[in-house]
Amino acid sequence: MSKLDITVEVCGMAGDGTIAAGGLINEGMSRGGLSVLAFDSYPAEIRGFGRCVTRSRIGHERRTALEEHTHVLISLNDEQSLSRVPFLTDLSAVFFDNRPPAPVPEESSLAAHVEPTTALFGMPFSDLAAQAAGSDRGRNLVALGGFAAVFQVPSELFQQAIVKKFKSKGQKVVESNVRCFQAGYAYAQERFSERLRDPISFPPRKEGPDIVMLSGNTAIAEGALDAGLHLYFGYPITPATPIMEYLAKKLPERGGRLMQMEDEIASIGAVLGGFFAGKRSMTATSGPGFALMTELITHGVMSETPAVIVDAQRGGPATGLPTKTEQSDLHAAVFGGPGDSARIVIAPTDVLECYHLTMKSFQLAEKYQIPVIVLTDFFLDNRVESVPPPVAGDGDGKDMTVYPDPDAKEPYRRFKITESGVSPRALPGMEGYIFTATGLEHTEKGLPDYTPENHSKMTEKRYRKLRSALEDLPSPVEQAPVGRMDLGVVGWGSNFGSVHEAVNRACERGLKVGALKLTSIYPYHEDAIRDFMSRCDEVLIAELNFEGQLANLIGHLHRKEVIRLNRVTGLPMPPSVIYKKILEILGETDS
Amino acid sequence: MKTPGPVLAEQIRRIEDSKLFSFRSGQLPTWCPGCGYFGIHAGINAALWQLGIPHHKVVVVSGIGCAGRYPFFSNTYGLHTTHGRSLPVATGVKLANPELTVLAVGGDGDGLGIGGGHLPHASRKDVNISYVLFDNSIYGLTKGQPSPSSPTGFKTKVSPSGTTERPLNATLMALSYGASFVARLFAGEPGRIGEIMAQGIRHPGFSFLHVYTSCVTFDKEYKTWDHLKEWVHPIPEGHDPSNFRAAMNLVLDDDFATGLVYQRGGNG
Ligand SMILES: Cc1ncc(C[n+]2csc(CCOP(=O)(O)OP(=O)(O)O)c2C)c(N)n1
Ligand code: SF4
Repeated sequence: MSKLDITVEVCGMAGDGTIAAGGLINEGMSRGGLSVLAFDSYPAEIRGFGRCVTRSRIGHERRTALEEHTHVLISLNDEQSLSRVPFLTDLSAVFFDNRPPAPVPEESSLAAHVEPTTALFGMPFSDLAAQAAGSDRGRNLVALGGFAAVFQVPSELFQQAIVKKFKSKGQKVVESNVRCFQAGYAYAQERFSERLRDPISFPPRKEGPDIVMLSGNTAIAEGALDAGLHLYFGYPITPATPIMEYLAKKLPERGGRLMQMEDEIASIGAVLGGFFAGKRSMTATSGPGFALMTELITHGVMSETPAVIVDAQRGGPATGLPTKTEQSDLHAAVFGGPGDSARIVIAPTDVLECYHLTMKSFQLAEKYQIPVIVLTDFFLDNRVESVPPPVAGDGDGKDMTVYPDPDAKEPYRRFKITESGVSPRALPGMEGYIFTATGLEHTEKGLPDYTPENHSKMTEKRYRKLRSALEDLPSPVEQAPVGRMDLGVVGWGSNFGSVHEAVNRACERGLKVGALKLTSIYPYHEDAIRDFMSRCDEVLIAELNFEGQLANLIGHLHRKEVIRLNRVTGLPMPPSVIYKKILEILGETDS
Repeated sequence: MKTPGPVLAEQIRRIEDSKLFSFRSGQLPTWCPGCGYFGIHAGINAALWQLGIPHHKVVVVSGIGCAGRYPFFSNTYGLHTTHGRSLPVATGVKLANPELTVLAVGGDGDGLGIGGGHLPHASRKDVNISYVLFDNSIYGLTKGQPSPSSPTGFKTKVSPSGTTERPLNATLMALSYGASFVARLFAGEPGRIGEIMAQGIRHPGFSFLHVYTSCVTFDKEYKTWDHLKEWVHPIPEGHDPSNFRAAMNLVLDDDFATGLVYQRGGNG
């Protein structure tokens, strides 16, 4: 059985049921035991008539990147789908409505534009839906039926998915949707019997936990809940809003509370207040909101108050590209705000890491009394992956606060200078430890003090916490041959998925190439990174920003100039782009 | 019209004699001699003492400014935040631990200028915190620029020919934002501050305490002690603080009547 790896797209106009159809494909295929990575794009304008595209990469192996090409295109609207034609591969299959509700002019007809090698499956989606369910609203399900029949997917898989999706809308809706699906299935089986494709092969059913479809945002919210989140404060912004919406339902069930604040400044302020009083608190935002938060984040640094902030990156400066992906807040996350303000920045690279690293961020924030920024991006937040349901570890919800020793003889000093940089933290309400925390430079007791010695001692203390925290921060992960390499590729965030795949491809070709995954962005494991780089002749850092922001941060660890691969299209970087770059650097030709 | 209470110095001496002293941190306030903030400090201490709240159960959250330094001088937990942000931070503290008595304090620049966007929402959310606005109509800590509550024509270093803007009326704002407890007070009467502040703390929602005070160093013209003492007077007897329209009328008609202006939902 050859390894399956296909990308299926559904494309239509807002209102065509594109997203629903894409979701059913994901659910149906993952029910069959296949691995799914899916990412939708839709117009930013709510009432726009823009294009909706769902892209699902389906296969036997878990994937964390998307290529640009498409194997199967299910078109619910010819005009919109034309933009996808250049991405079709040889031998692609295209399903389209050959009797659409509104006639398609010749120049925008799909049939007239695809290459002759493409298999065209024209079906009367609307008519079949009308016959099966009395209205053409189910045309997306008819299309799905056609796809299932041509690729010989067992129809129960989709029918189960349909039941799951529409159950809450009542038996009637479920039934009419199933009828539409079946109508499409029957039609395709009958008309296309000669042209049925190789069946999509499903792996044998394995025992074990059920697979769930999880988005990065849901994983973040679940991670926070399992970490014992008590207070969430936020202000709506794409792509972070789904975290708040999810928690609005779940947090009260766990005894916590969520409050929508008047802006991002208020949100981070309330998070600091909540953590100051001893409760795990969090906010999530995107670039513009993060920029507003930076002053108070540095207050958390100075006053040694924990905080957890998710920055779900979008593209560009200012409001930029609200519904597009980019990794260009790294500088802002690491350096944003006044002064030498040492904070922790971590970046998950896939959905499961969103869960685990969010959880970890609460422990780090509490243990080191410091704001922790979780850097994600639109692609990571909004894609879904089929994964085993993540489970918290034993100590994951544990209180990590370093409390003052009740038997200590000396008077309490909240900001006591210690070897680790961490001082015992009293919480308001505790008797005998009264102190004031401030964003001004202060003494060990917390009183303002701007003397030269004090400022340098205290700055050192705050940076010492970072050194200590490194022990708790996830080390870089190597995917590399032992010994020397011709090229090492460093990646972070969602883009690491593409690095991983490109490097795999290079290795399969016999090239001496390795990859390094960085999740601890700041502080970073200097020794481990330097060790990896020193084993490479060349180092390539691939990231979705113009500057090469990670390269700016760690590039000096390589004895030569690192090579930068940067892209700012608003779209994820396809692995093939990195692969081509690898070949180019090594002087190989693409065969 | 009743005359204001006894002179400030006398009141402070009386207070220092009492147990109220225990709410002082021992840290000598950095305020200028004669600053109205001493009176507000005494008033807040009086309220906490009168209510018998243990020191460690109180958190004072402040913004930036001379008023923002308050937490250092108070023998309670304190959080000196950034300019203008005391209200959201105080909200977080209260939600995290409702057993704490949470006070937010700050100047008029802090609360009406940079942080002006937070007052409507603190009022609207009605979280059980008390906000004391130290209103001297000038930026003290940055050495004498006009504030959002400075009168039109106010001459300062950045308005040498006098400001052209109209002043904000914080009591009126809080009322119209729907704050459930609104009082206007005078720093020269720590006793009144203490009394009404105590009611504000007991009030189970957001209480707004607007305190007129004097910056003796940078304002020689407008809110001087002499002027304030002449202008300030108690709210006329018979005012019904549960009547919102009456409260609005009172505030619209009289900029200097002090006392409990409005309280919704009884006496907490
Ligand atoms: C973001 C920011 N902008 C400006 C300042 C400078 N600043 C410090 S105090 C202050 C004004 C304080 O005035 P007010 O709130 O009226 O308090 P007062 O000093 O009169 O008590 C300003 C503008 C600052 N600390 N932070
Ligand atoms: S500058 Fe004005 S407000 Fe500040 S302490 Fe001095 S008198 Fe008070």
